[in-house]
Order: sequence, then structure tokens, then C-alpha cells
Amino acid sequence: MSVIEVENITKTFTSEKTKIVVLDNVSFSVGKEDFLCIVGPSGCGKSTLLRMIAGLEKYDSGRILFNGQLITKPSPKIAMVFQLFGLLPWKTALENVEVPLEVLGLVKQSRVHIAEEYLQMVGLEGFGNTYPHDLSGGMKQRVGIARALALKPEVLLMDEPFSSLDELTAKTLRELVLNIWQNPTLPTNTFIMVSHNVEEAVFMADRVIVMTPRPAKIIGEVKVSIPRPRSKYLRDKEYFKYVDEVVSMLEKGKAITRDTSPLSLTAERASRS
Amino acid sequence: MVIGFLFALGPLGIELSVIVLLFTSMAWAIFFGVIGAIRGIPTNVAESSKSFGLTGWRYIRHVVLPAITPAVISGANLAWCDGWFFMIAAEYIQYQGNVVSPPSGGLGYLLAKTAYDLKDMNLAIVLLVFITFIVVYFNTLTWHKLMERASTGTFKPVFRMDLSGVGKLGVARAGSWLHFGRLHWPKSFSIAAQRLQKYSRIEKVIALVLASTTLLLVLYRFFGQLPTAEMINQGFHQPPAAELVGLPWLILFTMGRLSIAYGISLAAAITMGVLAAEHRRFAAIFYPLYDIGQGVPILALFPVLSLGLTGLLGDPRIALELTCIIMLVLDMIWYMFLNVVSAVKNIPTEINEVGRLFGFKGLKRITHLVVPSILPAIVTGSILSWGTGWNTIIFAEYLPSTEPTIPPVSVPGIGSLLDKAGYEFGNTVVLIFMLGVIAVIVLSMEGLVWRRLLRRFEKYHVEV
Repeated sequence: MSVIEVENITKTFTSEKTKIVVLDNVSFSVGKEDFLCIVGPSGCGKSTLLRMIAGLEKYDSGRILFNGQLITKPSPKIAMVFQLFGLLPWKTALENVEVPLEVLGLVKQSRVHIAEEYLQMVGLEGFGNTYPHDLSGGMKQRVGIARALALKPEVLLMDEPFSSLDELTAKTLRELVLNIWQNPTLPTNTFIMVSHNVEEAVFMADRVIVMTPRPAKIIGEVKVSIPRPRSKYLRDKEYFKYVDEVVSMLEKGKAITRDTSPLSLTAERASRS
Repeated sequence: MVIGFLFALGPLGIELSVIVLLFTSMAWAIFFGVIGAIRGIPTNVAESSKSFGLTGWRYIRHVVLPAITPAVISGANLAWCDGWFFMIAAEYIQYQGNVVSPPSGGLGYLLAKTAYDLKDMNLAIVLLVFITFIVVYFNTLTWHKLMERASTGTFKPVFRMDLSGVGKLGVARAGSWLHFGRLHWPKSFSIAAQRLQKYSRIEKVIALVLASTTLLLVLYRFFGQLPTAEMINQGFHQPPAAELVGLPWLILFTMGRLSIAYGISLAAAITMGVLAAEHRRFAAIFYPLYDIGQGVPILALFPVLSLGLTGLLGDPRIALELTCIIMLVLDMIWYMFLNVVSAVKNIPTEINEVGRLFGFKGLKRITHLVVPSILPAIVTGSILSWGTGWNTIIFAEYLPSTEPTIPPVSVPGIGSLLDKAGYEFGNTVVLIFMLGVIAVIVLSMEGLVWRRLLRRFEKYHVEV
């Protein structure tokens, strides 16, 4: 049974009296222990899609189910990691991990205990009392990951989690995320990641969904069957074959939208303003 | 100072001095706004336009002018507000017991005369409403539209202030506390000082030179020669020097009034600001209120308020005490309100999303999310509020009288002592001493309170 079910999602918004279709009839499902990556050109609505799964954004038609239940509002079972980390700057690393637990109603002692445990897991032992201001980008994202995992969610959503980090840091964090995903002792094992980095997507995901520019549709899906850990296959022909496949789909998507939709220019303009 | 030079020219001199006075208060806001806007042009815009051959006049026309337009407009708006603020003071100058007013009269003069001399409450209120109406009318019809039109295509909000290291330029700041008789330096000066820290060394030197020239001219005006020890000594033996014995108490009283008013305006501004920023319905109430509140020339309110409260309470001292605090609140609240509103609106989407994702609601959201993220803005707002509060309290502690039979009413405080020294006794030495005292208090508050708070909240800034 699939954990997340996205069915015929359509979303439009109106900007300066022009109706813009952001998502056009998008459907897919994510199974238990899946690592799904959504790839598409920037501004195509993939982040919006992720936010809908998180319960942060509304849609016009269609439905999104989590374990068969309609998602109407954010739930601790679905956690999210943000592109710009989304840490509260006025709270220390430890407090940042603690805060969502407080909302869940945990007492201080167990909150601190859990928060410390997860900070240790992401390799931030000893940085609990540091403020985000004094942490590097990579460390901030580690806090962001720890905060999401501390809720023991079933699904982890990641919105371009590595795109504001330098490549070396991003590489380390990708490994960290994959280790977490494969860790059988953790309840979090369904991952959905949004990215515009094709190599990253092929490296991490089981399935890569490719989207067209606005109005975003799913143009295709690539099943990546490179054995894990994949770091040793990064120079292989097979790896590049998958990368090329995704890239050619992206190109195709671009061509289709150019031909059929005069809206794409307006949409581009609107997304810029 | 200006008055001193122009008095020599007779009635025309007074007219001129009023214009000069208004000009000095108006020019600063625009000047610093323009400098800020030019410095705010992003490097990438400057570099790319240069690489496409936009140099010289073309660069000015296509890049610099569009960049400074909003600053000029909002600076001009600020200047007009400042102008209204000073109108009452400028058109009704008391100089060593004599009322001096421009021969052509004017609204400010009329209002001051009605309230101070004729003590005609009804007429004063009518005039006040009339003045407020004109100000608000101007604001909503002209400035808002101009600002709306100009604000598209700016690189960043013109009046958003950088927080770190406010007030490095103590001299410019101290300059804003120079009050002479019923004349004083513009409110915009303190705003200018806020902005100054963003500017380069050369710009700071220019400001420093301007400030010290002003100071020298002031000294020259009052002494006409270099002060001698004997003169200073003499000054400290003439009234109201005797009151200096109680200086610590006076400081305490004045600070007390400022603190009470600050507390009230802080609580009110945060409540109103958060509500207005998050709910359209409240915004529809508070924004017009802000327009009117900002629009009422606070000095014009003074005679009306104190006259009304005296009639209501009987005791002119208690009435003045109350007037003082009301005026301070009305003066201090708006900077904070504006800062709170813009800070709440500027909370990054990601932070708000995190809040929703983790289920922050109601009070928890306010304490965990909203208040911490607007704290830096509250501190900046507080600095501005205290600045304008100091300006106002010097007027508000002392209600002058033009009739020899009625003694002027005052409440004990450093503001009223300064006023007495300035134009009841004409004691320049005590006046300058009091200015020094105020400058010391302001600067030490800056160092001990505000700067520390700013440094502490610096890391609260969300990096986007």
C-alpha cells in the first residue's frame, strides 16, 4: 500500500488578473520505504506540490492521501526539511529541535533527551547550545534534519535541502540522509525530495519524477536501479545513462511547453515578480 | 542660533528665520534618504549597467535617479511631517520673555495664540482639527499616492534601518538634543544618526564637520566671545542654578515620565502592530489611526491638551503631568507601531511555515515565533521613540505664559529646568550645562541599554 497518494492535483493562482496554472492534473504515489525525487525546472511548482503534501498549501481539485487519510493540515507524521533551513534564530540548536516536541506536549526532560539524541545522530554533539547564527550552513541543515526526525515522522519531505550548501558539504549531507533512510531502527523511511540537480536525484532516489515547466505536469518517471551504496558507481556508464535519461525528459518537457502553451512566458514573468 | 543671526534684520529676519528653521528640519531627511538610496544600489546592478555602457549621465538617468526617487519622495514626506511638527514652535518663538512671531502670522501662530494667550479651548480644538485635517489630507492624497507609484522597482525599503552598531556617531546624536528656548533641532536628526552608521568614513566626516560647525556657531551666538571662567562661574550662581542641587531627582522624574510613556506605547504598539499586520480588519482600523496620529502636530496638541485637562482636573500641575505623558505616548507610539508592522510582515515565509508545520497556535505562536522575530525591530523602534521622546519632553514639562500676572506652569524635571534656564532667566551657562546632562544620559543609555540589546538580538536576524 502506498503511504502518500497524490491524485489529479490541479492548482491555479491569479496574479494581476491573469490566471496561471501552476499544477496541471498531477498524480503519483509513494510507497513505504520509497525514496522519491521530484525534478523539474525552477519555478515549476514542485515546491508547491511538496507543501501540499505537508498540508501547508491548498489545491483546487484532486486529493492527497496519507495512509488512506485525506491531508488537510500539517501533521507530525509528515516532517519537512527546508531549503533555507527554517531554523528559529532566537533558539539554540537544541531548543530548535525541542520546540516541535513541546508542541506535541512532551515534558522538558524527555524533550531534551530526544533532542540530544537526534543532534548526536546528525553529528552535532556538543553544539546543542550554539545559536544558528554561529553555525555553518551544513550544520544548520543538520539541525533542520534532526528537528524533522525528532518527531519520528513516517514521511520526510525535503525541499531542495542541499541547494544552498557548497558541493562538499552537500555531498556529506546526502550520505547522512541516505544513512538515515536506510537505518531500520528509525521509523522514518519514506522520503520525498524536491531538487533541480539531476545528478543528486539519480544518486539518491529509487524513482525520479520529472516535471515540465509551468503549468507543471509529470512528463515521465525514471526508476533508478543502481545498487547502493551508489558512491562507488558515480563514474559508471549506467549512472550517466540515468542522468541522461532524466535530462532528456527535462528537455522534452521544455520543448512541449514552449510549443503548446503561450502561458509559459507569462508564468515566467509572474514567477519573477 | 539661526534666530540670533536673523533677529538683527527685523521683521523680515524673523520671517526668514522661520523659513530657515523649517528648512533645516526638512533638508536632513531628504539628504540622508538620498545618500542611503544611492548606497543601496546593489553592486550587481551597478556593475551590469556599467558593463552595458551606462556611464556618466546615462548611468545617473537610468540607475541613480530611479533609485533615489522613492527616497526623495518619502524623505520629502518625512520632511513635511517634521515641518508641521516645528510649525508651532517656529511661528511662535519666545525669546527671553518676549513673544516673537513672523509678521505674516500663520496657522501655528494662531493656534499658539489661541491656546496660550486667549485660552480659548473651543477655538483651539477647531484649529487643531483643521491642522490635522490638512496634514492627513496631504498625507493620504499626495504622499501615499506618490510613494505607491514610486515604490515599484526599488531595491529595498527605504526606511528599513540596519541594526548593528547604531549611534556610533555620538556627536550627530548629541546634536539632536540641542534645544534653544522654544526652538530645537529636527527630529529627523536622530533618524539621520541612525542611518549614519551605514555610511562611509567620508560621509561621517561631513556629518561630523556639520555638527561641530553648528556647535561652534551656537557657542559664538551665545557668548559672542570665548567663554571665560568668570562667566561660567557667574552663570552657576544665577537662577535657576539653585535648582541644580536636586538634579538627581529631576533626572529621576524626567526618566520616570519617559519610562511610563515608553511602557504604555510599547505595549500598545506591539498589540496594535501585530494585529494590524496579521488581520485585515484591524489594519483597516489602525492604518488610518496611524495616519491621523502621525499627522497631528504634537506641539499643536500641547496647548490644547493642557488647557483642556486643566479645565477638567482643576490643578494645572497634575494636568501638565498628565499632558506630558499623553503627549509622550502619542509621540513615541508611532515609530514603534510602524516598526512592529513591517517586522511582522517581514517574517520570512519559511519561519511561518515551520510554525504551521509544527503546530504553533495562538499564544505559543506569538511567544515562540512572532515576538522573537520582531525584537530587533522593537529595539530600533524604541531607540527612535526615546529620541523623539527626549525632544518632546523638553516642551512638555513646561507650559509657558505670556501674561506677566500668570506664572508659567511646570513639572519638576530636567526638561523644565532647561526651559526655565533658556527663556525665563536667559541663563546660558545652565542651559548648556543641562544640554550636556541630557547628552550624557542619552549617550549612556545608548551604550548601556540599546547597543547591548542590539548586539544581543543581532543573531535573531533570519538570514534569507
